[in-house]
Amino acid sequence: MRLSVAAAISHGRVYRRLGLSPRSRLDLLRNLVTALVRHERIETPWARADEMRGYAERLIDYAKRGDKDERAMRMADFWLTEKDLIHKLFKVLAPRFQPHPGGYTRLLQIPNRDGLDRAKMAVIELKGNPLPPLVRPRRDSDKTLLNQLLKGYRQDAQRAAAA
Amino acid sequence: VLILVRSPLPRLRALLQRCWGQLERGLWPVVLGGQSPSWGPALAVQGPALVPQGINDAGESSTEAPSLLESILWMAAPKQRRTIEVNRSRRRHPSKLIEVKRNIDVCPECGNLKQKHVLCGYCYAKVKEETRLIRMEIHKKEGGPFNAPTVETVVLYEGEKPPEKDAGKRIIERTRKRPSWFVQN
Repeated sequence: MRLSVAAAISHGRVYRRLGLSPRSRLDLLRNLVTALVRHERIETPWARADEMRGYAERLIDYAKRGDKDERAMRMADFWLTEKDLIHKLFKVLAPRFQPHPGGYTRLLQIPNRDGLDRAKMAVIELKGNPLPPLVRPRRDSDKTLLNQLLKGYRQDAQRAAAA
Repeated sequence: VLILVRSPLPRLRALLQRCWGQLERGLWPVVLGGQSPSWGPALAVQGPALVPQGINDAGESSTEAPSLLESILWMAAPKQRRTIEVNRSRRRHPSKLIEVKRNIDVCPECGNLKQKHVLCGYCYAKVKEETRLIRMEIHKKEGGPFNAPTVETVVLYEGEKPPEKDAGKRIIERTRKRPSWFVQN
């Protein structure tokens, strides 16, 4: 017996519904991609950042083809509303990410917004940006048992190599 | 002992056979051993006077008064006051209580509390402020809108020289000592 209307089921749908309409959703994401390319780190609601991440990474993949490629130039022309950023995309970001196969962005959650809506916020940034780092990689303390044993092993190996 | 009587006259025999047949079928009133046959009273009555119509009349006359009570809409209402024990059980059911958060930790950098999967609020505010000051310097250097450079950028603090590998980059200078958490690489 059918317990729910077929129109209310969304199994397997991958795209979120943002903004006022599908066209408005694309415009919203386009503004966010432009801001990310300009400022290299932006703070926005988590859902929008997550949605935008895929589009930004695909744009960089297109930019890696080079600016002589017709499709790459048309994509960059659509997705970047401020046309000086097209130069930045092809001359700065494409060479920066040439050695990397994917994963050009980093998405981190931050505490909920201070306003009335307490929205789940995230900061999305391009890797290799010149700004101060958000998370410092921590190494385990040297005083742990495993690290002391490894240090002893390294010293023994050096002594055996020197002798 | 059955004694068959055969009448010598054929018409009398036929009449006797007819009477016996009627007796057998019960069309003839039979008196057996002194019982009188039951006779019902034969009443001669007028048709319409005794037909029972009192039931219908009584029904039609009584529905005129309470029709108002039956035509309005009755809604559900609680019959009994819910006791405080029942109320407490409903209000304190585990599904209605706020879940206890067990994913709160201490930030190793500053010692403030943070959720495990979320950045530390204090450390992020620190980085955000420094980013804002760097962006102000960038804006001063660019001069106007839509002047994004076509080279990489590097941020240098007081008394620092640009390293060799960052040769052709645009330099943004900040007038303060380098913070300990912004490692130069």
